[in-house]
Amino acid sequence: MTRRKRMLADLEQDIRDHLARETQDNIDRGMSPENARSAALRKFGNVARIKEETWEVWSLVWLEQLLQDVRFGIRTLLRTPGLTVAAVMAIALGIGINVGIFSVLNGLALRLLPLPRAHELVSVNQIFHFQGRGDRSIHNDSSWFSYSEYLDYRDHNHVFDGLVAYEPFVEATLRGVDARQVLGTAASCNYFSVLIEHPAYGRGFVESDCAGRGSNAVAVLSDDLWRGKFAADPALVGKKIILNQTAYTVIGIARPGFTGTEPIPSAFWVPITMQQALEPGRDRLSDDNMSWLAMLGRIRPGVTMQEVRADLGLIAGRRDHGHTGPKRTTSLAIHAATFFSSPEQRSTLIPIASVICAAFALVLLIACANVANLLLARDSTRQKEIALRLSMGAGRWRLVRQLLTESLLLSLAGGTVGSVIAFWSFIRITELVTSHLPKGFPPLAVNVGPNLQVLAFALALSLFTGIAFGLLPALRSSRPDLNTAIKGDGTQFGAGKKGGRLLLNTLVGSQVAVCMTLLLAAGLLLRGLYQAQTIDPGFEIKGVATMFMDLGRQGYDRTRATEFMRQFRDRIQDLPGVTAVAQAECAPLSHDFSGSQFTIPGRTGTFPFEYNHISPAYFALLGIPIVRGRNFRPGEAHDAQGIIVTESTARRMWSGQDPLGKALREESGREYFVIGVAKDAQVAHLGRSDTNYLYFPAGPEEDSRSYVMVRYSIRFMDVAKSIREVAQSIDPNVSVDVSRLEDYLEIWRAPSRIVAALSGALGALALLLCSIGVYGMVSYSIGRSVREIGIRMALGADGAKVMRHLLWQAMRPVLIGGIVGVVLSAADSGVLSSMMFGLGTHDPIAFISVPIFLLGVAFVATFIPGRRALQVDPMVALRCD
Amino acid sequence: MSTREQNERIELLQGTLDLLILRTLQRGPMHGHAIAKAIEFRSDEVLQVEQGSLYPALHRLIKRRWISAEEGTSENNRRAKFYALTAKGKRQLTVETGKWDKLARAIAQILRPGEQEEA
Repeated sequence: MTRRKRMLADLEQDIRDHLARETQDNIDRGMSPENARSAALRKFGNVARIKEETWEVWSLVWLEQLLQDVRFGIRTLLRTPGLTVAAVMAIALGIGINVGIFSVLNGLALRLLPLPRAHELVSVNQIFHFQGRGDRSIHNDSSWFSYSEYLDYRDHNHVFDGLVAYEPFVEATLRGVDARQVLGTAASCNYFSVLIEHPAYGRGFVESDCAGRGSNAVAVLSDDLWRGKFAADPALVGKKIILNQTAYTVIGIARPGFTGTEPIPSAFWVPITMQQALEPGRDRLSDDNMSWLAMLGRIRPGVTMQEVRADLGLIAGRRDHGHTGPKRTTSLAIHAATFFSSPEQRSTLIPIASVICAAFALVLLIACANVANLLLARDSTRQKEIALRLSMGAGRWRLVRQLLTESLLLSLAGGTVGSVIAFWSFIRITELVTSHLPKGFPPLAVNVGPNLQVLAFALALSLFTGIAFGLLPALRSSRPDLNTAIKGDGTQFGAGKKGGRLLLNTLVGSQVAVCMTLLLAAGLLLRGLYQAQTIDPGFEIKGVATMFMDLGRQGYDRTRATEFMRQFRDRIQDLPGVTAVAQAECAPLSHDFSGSQFTIPGRTGTFPFEYNHISPAYFALLGIPIVRGRNFRPGEAHDAQGIIVTESTARRMWSGQDPLGKALREESGREYFVIGVAKDAQVAHLGRSDTNYLYFPAGPEEDSRSYVMVRYSIRFMDVAKSIREVAQSIDPNVSVDVSRLEDYLEIWRAPSRIVAALSGALGALALLLCSIGVYGMVSYSIGRSVREIGIRMALGADGAKVMRHLLWQAMRPVLIGGIVGVVLSAADSGVLSSMMFGLGTHDPIAFISVPIFLLGVAFVATFIPGRRALQVDPMVALRCD
Repeated sequence: MSTREQNERIELLQGTLDLLILRTLQRGPMHGHAIAKAIEFRSDEVLQVEQGSLYPALHRLIKRRWISAEEGTSENNRRAKFYALTAKGKRQLTVETGKWDKLARAIAQILRPGEQEEA
């Protein structure tokens, strides 16, 4: 037995002794025994309170009270299991989806890189502010660095143990049994040592690997590539592989799980000095004005972020000073290194993430309002208990704490259930989504598993939720009108307790408003999806195979490329089942665009045009008719002056005039003349035909890099196989990836499909929660007015009239909430439509059908309990308490 | 509101009561009722301590190990719990008494001019 327990056990005996002695003293002084006893008690004070106070001496009061509250709370919650389960489920749903989406965002942009001592790593980015027109070439990301800039920062900083630069996402063809494209990284030679990333086999780069440009062809392969392509052959280290026609000695195999420092996994790494060999024809190392290198620094121990910013800022300032051309200031963005840490990437991620998070948070809000409603309803049946406790002298704060403990218990239970489900399901959902992305989407290496941040988020969200939905009901019900509450007359119907009704109505109204906003957003997105699925792109997309041929990248020079393409085109033309072959700089909807500024002789200003270089067969193959003038002729190439424009372009440029023979001038001064007008087709951007578009004839220049399109009349698999065989028979080292033109359409549609599915699911959840909320509120308030309804009916009131009254009472907040929701949606749909293609801002079908649907659901949720109330026998109603 | 005022009074009483108990126990172990009587008697019944409030105070002192509690037999042969000063408690009494004297002197110094004017 602890000292504390022994002391407390003796306390009662002690007090009894004390009172006995005092009584005895009083009797000795001549009092009667009864008087002596009561005088002793008076002198002693309130025994119960004294005991309580002594108890408090020994206890951690708040802890005991908390435990007491928790025990009491659990008992109370278990007494109404239906309500408890409903509340926990609603919260689990709300918290679960929020924790889930947070863990995805955490994996995308908040998690530190999966590397040793990752907290020391920072990403360094720069943003130029030019006075006047600045000039900078960009490859991949505008906030990255040129090679000379990297060397400057690397050699002159005083804050890093090491500074790494790398060019990610370099496409390369790996020669082998089946030649294929892989994505790799050109990295500075301190890459592996600064990242503390030791390859599983062999070694990483050392400084001598970067000793001279193009002189050290070594490579480290990813574990995935090594297993997938080389059957995990341990003897591969030391052997040679061919990437883009250059032989590299494999010096290491990366640790399984190391895929670089970008969300898109890297399959190999070569020294940065091999850049030109890896990307033939592009000398980025010598271009001092090109952003192409991402930088990661490992901070020296003891150096603060401020010191890093100050030190690198000095270098940036010096570089600005020495910069020739328009005056320039550089601001550096230095952050803990995560995926998506460059400002440019963040600026795309953050708006999308905030819209998604807002939508998810709204569902949680509905859940909160819902549970608050349930609690208010329940607490009002506890008015008697609460009033009794208050009149016995319980402190209001103590009561509020008790009620809050209950709601926190609910929210923690809901949060736990929701988080567990979220952890489990979102890992799988992410796997599902990433594995079902259409062909052409790069694979993503995103870890959505829970970590400390996610758990902290889940806990914080649960606590916040508990307080959010619990505080209002707790404050309200701990301030009852003691008289009426104890009398047990809780019938309010329309009149009396205005505050309570108003609160309930506000809660219901805001639920409906939020739900309406979400549903309308979902409706708009679904409409957008429908339009995307049914849109006519203006050309025949079915039965066309396309292949992207980047022979230049695969190491071909111009003459060899032209020779290859001539043979390739001729031989696939003769394949059985192939009806037409065309070549183009950009395939329709391939996300490959070319654009330039043109002037029109005799007019001021420049006009932006997108363009494509095409072979004459292009129009016929895609079924795009030439509406005026003529098509290109075989033999017309880049030196020809004739161009073909689209119908809408002709209308915009030369409205009311005959476009044929009209001139366009390039910035170089070279002039072109319109020889034909083609029908509009959404070849560049799905859902948009308002861009100026023109066609040039293709020439031998296109042979190094172009798309070949084939119209076929047999099975796609067969035609794809025979096309690959043709390419292999001309040169076994050429990789040809044959895909369906329709698949490109899928890439355009995938984002809207994913978002529409997501928002549809969210909308459905919101609707479910909201209708439960309305139903609960109505059944509750009708349940409380059963007696009144009974009286009315007994006095001969018209049932229909009473019903109308009930419906009106219940539907009023719903209507108000609905209107607010529609207004909010009208405001936010502009944001949505800028993000999703093909989405009308005020799509009338969505704006009419969704509110009708929601009001219909609310009506049903009101009608059912209303009818039940009317069917109650008046005699029963009058007697019921 | 009234609760707060009460709390403040108890707060003031607590420290004082603790000191009085310690001082009382300096004469030797006593049971609770005797302590209450002694305080009452020695203050010429000016300090009307609510007798019950003695017990939380006693337990507070036990928890701080300034006094100890033992079973014993009282004068009229009844079993009772006897409270006794510990060594730590004795030291504490010296410290507390010193503090009290200082406080009393300081307050007296502040109050004395006022008293003189009135007189």
